[in-house]
Amino acid sequence: MGISLIVHVGLVSVTLGVGLITAIYRYLAYARNDSYLEVFARRAFRLLAVTELFSGVWGTIITVVLAGFFTGLFALLANVLFTPIVIALIGIMIRIPSIAIFWYTWGRIDPRTHSILGFVMALSGFMIPLGFRALMSDITAPVAIGSFLNKQPFGAFDAYFSSIYWNLYLHTVLAVISVGGFMVVSIMALDGDAKGVKIAAPYAFLPLVAQFLVGPLYLLQLHFSSPYVFDALVRIDKLLQGSGGLFSPAFAVKVLSALLLLWIGLNIYLGARRGAISPYAKYGGLLAIFVAVVGEIVNSGSRYPYMIVLDSAGKRIEEYFNYYIAIGDVFPAVIVILFFLIMSLVIFTIAAYYALIRKFVV
Amino acid sequence: MQWVLNLSALGVYFHGIFVSITLGLPLAMMAFLYLYRKTGDEAYMKATKLATVVLSINFALGAINGTLVEFGLLTVWPGSLIVVASTALAPLALELIAFSMEVALLILFVVTLGKVSAGLSMGILGAYWAFALFSGLLITAVNSWQQAPWGTGPLAKALYPFMPEFGPLAVDAQKLVAVKIFALASGESLQTILQGAGVAEVVGIVVNDPYIILKSPYAWVSIAHNLLAAVIVGASIALFAWAYRYYVTGNQYYLKLLSAIIVPLLALALVQPTIVGHEMAVMAVNYNPTKWAMVEGAEKTKYSPIKALLAYGDPNHPIYGFDHFEKMCMEQKATVGEVALSVGLDEKTLRELGSRLGLQLDGSLEAVLKTPVRDVCLADLQKAKERLSKVHYAYYTKIGSAVSAVIATVALAAMLVRIPVVSPIVSFAESLASRFVNRRALVLLLAAIIAIGFAATSALGWYVREVGRKPWTIYGLVYPEEIVSVVDYATSPAFIAFAAFIILAINMSGIAALIFVASRADEISEAVRRAIEAIKGSKA
Repeated sequence: MGISLIVHVGLVSVTLGVGLITAIYRYLAYARNDSYLEVFARRAFRLLAVTELFSGVWGTIITVVLAGFFTGLFALLANVLFTPIVIALIGIMIRIPSIAIFWYTWGRIDPRTHSILGFVMALSGFMIPLGFRALMSDITAPVAIGSFLNKQPFGAFDAYFSSIYWNLYLHTVLAVISVGGFMVVSIMALDGDAKGVKIAAPYAFLPLVAQFLVGPLYLLQLHFSSPYVFDALVRIDKLLQGSGGLFSPAFAVKVLSALLLLWIGLNIYLGARRGAISPYAKYGGLLAIFVAVVGEIVNSGSRYPYMIVLDSAGKRIEEYFNYYIAIGDVFPAVIVILFFLIMSLVIFTIAAYYALIRKFVV
Repeated sequence: MQWVLNLSALGVYFHGIFVSITLGLPLAMMAFLYLYRKTGDEAYMKATKLATVVLSINFALGAINGTLVEFGLLTVWPGSLIVVASTALAPLALELIAFSMEVALLILFVVTLGKVSAGLSMGILGAYWAFALFSGLLITAVNSWQQAPWGTGPLAKALYPFMPEFGPLAVDAQKLVAVKIFALASGESLQTILQGAGVAEVVGIVVNDPYIILKSPYAWVSIAHNLLAAVIVGASIALFAWAYRYYVTGNQYYLKLLSAIIVPLLALALVQPTIVGHEMAVMAVNYNPTKWAMVEGAEKTKYSPIKALLAYGDPNHPIYGFDHFEKMCMEQKATVGEVALSVGLDEKTLRELGSRLGLQLDGSLEAVLKTPVRDVCLADLQKAKERLSKVHYAYYTKIGSAVSAVIATVALAAMLVRIPVVSPIVSFAESLASRFVNRRALVLLLAAIIAIGFAATSALGWYVREVGRKPWTIYGLVYPEEIVSVVDYATSPAFIAFAAFIILAINMSGIAALIFVASRADEISEAVRRAIEAIKGSKA
C-alpha cells in the first residue's frame, strides 16, 4: 500500500500540474496566434500523455489493496464518505478520456474548441483530489467519520466542513502545479530551450513560495484538530524518549528538501528572467517529485499505528485489517505481484525514456 | 433496487464494448505487423498506426469504465467486499499484475511503433495482448464464482434442494451461514456489519483455499467462452470499420486489410459455438438449474430429444422445469434454524456472535430461525420464474444473431480468400446478388451483419448470464439487496439518473472522439508531422 501510494503520488503530481500548464499555453497559443507557445504546450504534454495511464494503474492498485486488505475501512469509507468518492470518480471519468481525446484531436479541430477541451482535461484532474483528499482529511481529523463513530447522523458533504480539508486541498493544488512546473522546466532544460524554461519557471517557483505559507498554517491546524499527527511530525523530543514523534525525522527531511528545492527554484527563476538556463534546472523535476513523495509519506504515515486518528489516539490499523483469509496463504502471490509491478515500472521507465529523452513522441 | 442493477449494467456494458476492442483489435494489428514484416508493404504499417490511435483512446475509455465498475462494485455494492477480501482476493490481486503490465506495454508499444523493427513491435503488442487476456481471465473467474460459487460445497443445496454441490467445501460454512442469518435477521445490507471496527477479527477466516475460484471448471469454460467472444467482437468492429472505408473509397487497400483480419476471425467464429459455446451451455445445465430452465422456457418439465442429447448426452432426459424445482422445495421439512444447527450454530451461539459484532437482533433472529426452508425456497423460485420469458427470448435471439454472424463470416471469408468448395458457391451467390447490390455494398453489408451479429450475441449472452442467476447475486447464496449500499441517496432515482447521465455523456463523447480520429487518420499523421517540423524550426 505504501509503495503504491508513493508511486501514485509521485506520478499524479506530475500529470495534474503539467495538465494545467498545457491547457493554459494551448489557449494562449490560440489567443495570441503564437506558434512557439503551441509547440511548448505540445512538448509539455508529452509528459502527461506518457504518464497519466500508468499513474492511474497505481491508483487502482491502492483501491484493490485497500479493499482487499483493509476491508472494514473501505466499507466504512464507502458509506460515510460516499460523496467525495463519487466526486473523485467523476473527475477520473472525465480526465482520462479527455487526455486521449485532447492529444489525438490536436490540430484536427478548431483551436478554440481544442482549448476548451484542454481546460476540461486540466480542471477535471483537480476534481480527483477534491474527492480523495476528503478521505485523507477525514481519517486525520474526523468530521463525518467522527459523527459515525459516535453514532450520530452525518451529512453527505460533512467531510468538506473539516477544519483541515480546504487547506490540505490548497496544499495539494499548489504542490502539483509546482511539481508540474519543475518537470516542464527540466524537460525544456534537457532540450536546451531557454524560452521554454522561462515560461515554466514561475509555475515551479511561485506555488512553492506559497507552500511556505500554506504548509505552516496546515501544521498549525493539525496542532488543534489532530494533535496525535502534529506530535508525530514535530515532537522530536518524544521520539528521543520513545513515546511518539515517529515521523519527525521524515518531516525534517521534507522541510530541508523543500528548502533546497526553494533555493533551486529561485536560481532557476532568476536565471530564466535573464534568459539563461540554471545548471540545476535539469534536476529540479526529480527533486520536486521527491519532496511531494516525502510529503505524502509524512502525511499518511504520521497516523501510524492508527488508521483513523481521534485527537490523541484513534482506531488502530488492526481493527480494519482483513482477517477473513489467512494472509500468509496469499503471501507467495504478493511476492509475484511485487515482482511484476517492479517490472512494469522498468518497462514504463524505458517507454518514458524513449518518449521524453529520445523524443520518439513529440 | 432494479434501477441500481440497471445502472451497474450500463457501466458494465460500456466496459464490455471497450474491452472487446482492447482484446480484438490487437489480433488485427498483429496480423498487419506480420504481413508488413513478411511483405514490406507500407499499407500494413499505416493501418497498424491508425489502429494504435484507436486502441489508445479505446484503452483510456476501457480503463475509466473499468475504474467505474470497480468503484461501483465496492461503493454501490459494498457487501461484495466480503468476497473481495476472501475468495476473490488472490485473483483480484493477481489482476494488478495484468493491468500494470498491460498499461506499461501499451505505452511502450505506442512510443516505439515505427521506430523499432516490426518483429519487436509484434513482440511488445503480443505481450500486451497476453496480459490483457490474463486480466480478462481473472475478472471472468471472479464473475464465474458469482454464477457457480465453487468451494461452497452443499451450502446452497441446503436451502435449495434442486441445486448442485459447488465443489469441495473450502469455506467455513458455520461463519458464512451465521453472516447470512444476520443479514436476514437485521434486514440490513452486509455493509452495516463489515464497516464495524474489529469485525473481521471477530469473524475470522472464512476461506481455507485462496485460489479456490481458479479451480472451478465453470470458471475455465467461462474464461474461454467470454474471452473468445470479446476477441471476436473487437475484431468484428475493426473489420466493419475498414469495410466502411472500402465502401466509401473503393480503395483496394482496404480489401487487403479485410483479408488479413477475416482469416483469424473465421477460425475463432467457428470454434466458439461448436466447442466452447457448447461447453458453456453444459456448465449452465450442471450448475445453474434455474438459469437453464429459464433459457429453455421450462415453466413445466418438458422433453426435447435434440436439446437433451446436446445438454445431457441422453435424448430421453427431461428438461427440468420450475414445477420440478417447486416439488423439491415442498419436500423440505427443515427450518432455517435446523439448517443452522446442522453446521453447529444454535440460537445462543448466534446471539453471542451477533452481540460481539454489535448487531441489534432482538426478536428478528428467532423469526428467521423459525422460518421453514421451504418458504425461502419457494419464494426465491417465484422471483426467478418472473424472469423466465425475458431470459428465454434473449437467449434464442442471441442464438439467431450468432448464426447470422457466423454465416456472414464464412461468406465474407470465402469472398476475400480462396476457400475450397465454399468460395465457388459464394462466388455464384455474389454473381446473383450483383444485380441488386455492388461488391462494395455487399462487403459492407456482410461486415455489418458480422459486427452487429457478434456484438448482439455478446450483449445478450451477458444479459442471460447475469439475469439468469437472479434472484441471487451469488448463485444460491446472496441476494443483491444484501450487498447494496446503506447510503440512502446512492440508491435514489435522482442519483441513479445523475450517474447514468454522467456515464452516457462521457462514453458517448468518447465513442464520438474514437470515430472522429479513426476516420481522420491521415490528417492526424499530418498534424504530428507539422508539430515535429515546428519543433525542429523552433530549435533552429
